[in-house]
Amino acid sequence: MTTAASPSRAEADRAAESGPRTLAEDLRGRTDADLGALLCARPDLTTPVPVDLTQLATRATTRASIARALERLDRFTLQVVDAAVVLPDGFAPSRLHALIGTAPEEVRRAVAALREQALLWGPDDALRVVRTVRDLVGASPAGLGPTLAGALAATAPSRLQDVLADLGLGSTHDAVSAIAAITDLCTDRARLDALLGQAPEAAREVLDKLVWGPPTGSVRGADRPVRADAARTPVEWLLARALLVPAGPDAVVLPREVALHLRGGRVHRTPLPTPPELPVRGFDPQAVDDLAAGSAFTAVRRVEDLLEAWSAGGPPVLRAGGLGMRDFKRAAVQLDVPEAEVALWLEVAYAMGLVAGDGEPDEQWLPTPAYDTWRRTPVGTRWAALAGTWLETTRVPALVGTRDDKDRPVGALGTQVDRTAAPEVRRRILATLAALPPGSATDADSLLAHLTWHQPIRAARLPEALFRAMLVEAELLGITGRGAFAGYARPLVEGRVYEAGDALTPLLPEPLDHVLLQADLTAVAPGPLVMDLAHELHLAADVESTGGATVYRFTEESVRRALDAGRTATDLHHLLATHSRTPVPQPLSYLVDDVARRHGRIRVGTAGAFLRCDDDALLGELLADRRAAGLRLRRLAPTVLAAESAPDTVLEKLRAMGLAPVAESATGDLVLTRPDTRRTPPRSAPPRVAGEPPTPTEALLAAAVTAIRAGDSAATSRADTAVERDGEPVELPRTSAAETLLALQAAHADRRAVWIGHVTREGRATQHVVIPLRLEGGYVTAHEQGTGEIHTYPLHRITGVAEVG
Amino acid sequence: MPDGPLIVQSDKTLLLEVGHEAAAECRRAIAPFAELERAPEHVHTYRLTPLGLWNARAAGHDAEQVVDVLLRHSRYPVPNALLVDVAETMGRYGRLQLSRHPTHGLVLTTTDRAVLEEVLRSKKMAPLVGVRVDPDTVIVHPSERGQIKQVLLKLGWPAEDFAGYVDGEAHPIELAEDGWSLRAYQQEAVEGFWHGGSGVVVLPCGAGKTLVGAAAMATAKATTLILVTNTVSARQWKSELVKRTSLTEDEIGEYSGTRKEIRPVTIATYQVVTTRRKGVYPHLELFDSRDWGLIVYDEVHLLPAPIFRFTADLQARRRLGLTATLVREDGREGDVFSLIGPKRYDAPWKEIENQGYIAPADCVEVRVTLTETERLAYATAEPEERYRFCATTASKTRVVKDLVERHRGEQTLVIGQYIDQLDELGEVLNAPVIKGETTNKERERLFDAFRTGAVQALVVSKVANFSIDLPDATVAIQVSGSFGSRQEEAQRLGRVLRPKADGRGARFYSVVARDTIDQDFAAHRQRFLAEQGYAYRIVDSDDVDTQM
Repeated sequence: MTTAASPSRAEADRAAESGPRTLAEDLRGRTDADLGALLCARPDLTTPVPVDLTQLATRATTRASIARALERLDRFTLQVVDAAVVLPDGFAPSRLHALIGTAPEEVRRAVAALREQALLWGPDDALRVVRTVRDLVGASPAGLGPTLAGALAATAPSRLQDVLADLGLGSTHDAVSAIAAITDLCTDRARLDALLGQAPEAAREVLDKLVWGPPTGSVRGADRPVRADAARTPVEWLLARALLVPAGPDAVVLPREVALHLRGGRVHRTPLPTPPELPVRGFDPQAVDDLAAGSAFTAVRRVEDLLEAWSAGGPPVLRAGGLGMRDFKRAAVQLDVPEAEVALWLEVAYAMGLVAGDGEPDEQWLPTPAYDTWRRTPVGTRWAALAGTWLETTRVPALVGTRDDKDRPVGALGTQVDRTAAPEVRRRILATLAALPPGSATDADSLLAHLTWHQPIRAARLPEALFRAMLVEAELLGITGRGAFAGYARPLVEGRVYEAGDALTPLLPEPLDHVLLQADLTAVAPGPLVMDLAHELHLAADVESTGGATVYRFTEESVRRALDAGRTATDLHHLLATHSRTPVPQPLSYLVDDVARRHGRIRVGTAGAFLRCDDDALLGELLADRRAAGLRLRRLAPTVLAAESAPDTVLEKLRAMGLAPVAESATGDLVLTRPDTRRTPPRSAPPRVAGEPPTPTEALLAAAVTAIRAGDSAATSRADTAVERDGEPVELPRTSAAETLLALQAAHADRRAVWIGHVTREGRATQHVVIPLRLEGGYVTAHEQGTGEIHTYPLHRITGVAEVG
Repeated sequence: MPDGPLIVQSDKTLLLEVGHEAAAECRRAIAPFAELERAPEHVHTYRLTPLGLWNARAAGHDAEQVVDVLLRHSRYPVPNALLVDVAETMGRYGRLQLSRHPTHGLVLTTTDRAVLEEVLRSKKMAPLVGVRVDPDTVIVHPSERGQIKQVLLKLGWPAEDFAGYVDGEAHPIELAEDGWSLRAYQQEAVEGFWHGGSGVVVLPCGAGKTLVGAAAMATAKATTLILVTNTVSARQWKSELVKRTSLTEDEIGEYSGTRKEIRPVTIATYQVVTTRRKGVYPHLELFDSRDWGLIVYDEVHLLPAPIFRFTADLQARRRLGLTATLVREDGREGDVFSLIGPKRYDAPWKEIENQGYIAPADCVEVRVTLTETERLAYATAEPEERYRFCATTASKTRVVKDLVERHRGEQTLVIGQYIDQLDELGEVLNAPVIKGETTNKERERLFDAFRTGAVQALVVSKVANFSIDLPDATVAIQVSGSFGSRQEEAQRLGRVLRPKADGRGARFYSVVARDTIDQDFAAHRQRFLAEQGYAYRIVDSDDVDTQM
């Protein structure tokens, strides 16, 4: 099957006589502002900045760059692209209006955008579509089949004459004029209507099935020649008259001209010139901000809780990278949040460089020094850093726990969690929400439809589930509250991340310096605590419930832990008395004293393990205790026992028996056991996976345009002098390295002169006519005809080779 | 930022700051849908559970109200996920409804076809339902009315039961309000129950649950089956009913191990109903022996599992559950909800106490230091003997004796688990002992003597844990118990919480051996009592004199 581009190729030759002949020429005729707009709309063209306009034109028509440009187009502009591709090159905008069928103003806007992005070019009344665009749109724009010319190209001349006869057209000499005659019939509304009017009902039904695409249908024996009077089936009736054309042994295709006629001359059933409406639900903006601020506060706290838990040694890094599923689930249980939420905190922390592998042989996930730095900043700043990272990262937490192409689970912190489209989608979501009035939320479906209209190609690439997950994540991070954009988060959209953090700060609860102590041995902190108090309480009590408040529970173990860490009973009493708003309950004081009374009564040596105790009755009890038999205790002195087991085993056993021994060092001091806080060596955040290059700043754009202009005028002035001197082409075509080498080898073999374009070491573009003398080691030594000198040119500086006229 | 008294935690607990000026209003607002879990002095903890939310739905509250209450009283922004969850959970109740169809009989209908599809796909549903008469209606086998409610609750789509009740055999019953009248909350409880059809009334010990039962019977005016925990309790129900209603002794039957009377009002014990011989329950006939109009379950939280099964078949009769707590040690709160009914009335324990109906109690844990010989013996004891050893140590006996001495002139109960210890205490204190082998007659005689004050100290075993009424006990001393059960604690505390004539505070002692497993169990009790909001102190036995 031929491509849709092929018919236009013929017509392209007949294209407008005046106006620019190439895209490069078209670009050359544009203003600096226009060029700036092009570079801004297609930022990939600025990396690196092209040398001149010729190169810009070449780069702007590469497949990759065009694909990117198309991805950014909205639904309506893409519909206009479909229509433009249907038309032969050199079309007037009025034909485009006719094919789209909406207000001319809307089409004009789309055409302007396409021209700005160099997807359409040429004079206003003779527009051309960049060829790569035709290639990328493919053979069936908007579900239309090939043109008759394309579809009938391979048909035998005799068969064509049969068709002409069956259509009641006169026979012609050659195939080309035969096809032209058929095409004329099919583009003539009245005649085609008359022909279709004769079609049996069943044949109309066949056409109705194919008209809105896909244009091909399967039929057995489609390529058998059928005459009109021998047609027995509806399909055969159509085939005999070329209203359907065979597209293979078992397939038929509806030619484009026929389809357009049946579509009433329109390319699309429904043109969609405007994005779908966003239904809006309004909340009190203050309530939204309060709610979101609560989530923001929780977000910071969750990340801290997660990394604090890994401070004493995190889970292992899998050999293939990432976090094991079991450790991941464990983290979810530890934080008491759903797995999807843990994935979010983990991935954001990772993307921010707060957690990394420590690089040791048995590699573990540990917080990085950046974590300590981050933690020392105010909560608002901490949140801003998280939110900003989330917005920019290519990592997609919602992929964690899904299955990859090979049906293996995707793990957190692994290598499969990156999606280059993610940052752009997040930015668009936020930008759309931020554009709504304060406190307004919309529903996910409408938002999705809205965003899909804006970038249908991209939207199709990111699964809907991931999109929905992003909305949930924005809520969890406190960027939105009840789906409405939080007021303080608005600077985020413009990239002023830390401003958002500052705006959040006044909404955060003030840290408290007191708790409420109760007789059931709990302490309730009715809000976030100042850091020191939180730390001391974490030491002396277990956390039972978190949220707006924290509930701590004092137990024998927790008090013992505090004593083990070097606090005395007096310290604890003091802590409780100073920070309690209410009298310290008697059972709590009693608990502290009771644990302290027993704490350290038994001392266990590290070397060889001995047990010392002032109370020899207790040692007697211990000796007699069957549960202690495994320790093989012996009495050394009235107050000293020795154990065969290692000290840690002894400690554990004694504690299990309900005693409160402490470890003793060789010099007789108490050994304080406080879990060490561990960190990785310095680590930077992981590099972003290359996706969209960042949008260039205005200064950069201006500089780029200036540079291109300068390079271009240098190149064209050289070419112009060459034209004057030798009448050679103005521009040397750019050839690839391989083509350059081939051309030079051929010229070398034939001792033929060729044009070469050469960029000097200073970056000046020059052109010379040379006879290559020697080709080796990436250099060509050649005789330059203009000056008669012999020069050596590095191959990589040769931009193109052309035959001398 | 609003400064509400309520803090909503991420684990769905609600913390209520009691000292806050808006605390009382907030408490009233959240009580219908949140279960009070702990009520220590400053911050009370409520929990949002699906059952609690469904109870609220059954009582006519909707999600919008609940969300509004949370938002209005919360000090910090409430996580949206939690609000969504509340709305979603509450929305599940009543999507399915059991009702009586004029031609098809008992049917399950839905307002949401997808839900019906979902539950019908469950294997457990298959044997319970018949043909689907239309897309939204399916016939339910009449015998499976209880089963289907249990299954649907487990599937997370509790059904509302509109299938109605049989009136049962009518029997005239009136309250005899001579010189007394129903308290306001009792009246509310009865109205809540009657309006809801079936369900559970939650009232603390001593708040007059028997009267709520009597008033419900007077409203139903029908034959009634009352299920109680044991024989003593049965007798008390009987005497209370005779005293408070128009019923005579002859109209009330006792169906227990010793007597098998079936009368218009019949009181049966759980034990006799659940007796099993050769795999069958011989006393099941009791349920069918009359056309009961009302079934009353006393102490629902102790209801044995087989009774749930029988109850599943009694869904057409009105059912009233009475209890001090919905919390069951076995976690079968769901069965209570689906088979007996949703909570119809709940009064916060402490609030009723503040109204003066229950005496406040002062809880004291007395720590006894074991002698060196005792400690050595304790360390060498077999693991299964350890608790018994430390709980019955001789040191305790001395302390108990001291305590009883201190409270001479007050009605004192000594409660324990081990018969040897109780006998020894009885001897030392020169007090009668009530234990399992004591006959009912003897028990009643001793209780009467205790009530009149003829006996001032009584040593009782765990038989005292159940529905006995000792109105004048002001001091209870617990020497040993069965492994720190919360249930038992509530019961024991209930013993001394009865209103006192002179408004004096009650004293509840636990005597505990220091540094033993006994102390660990005591920690459970301490937590439970403190969570119930009772003052709790720990003193060393040597300091009792100085600190009391």
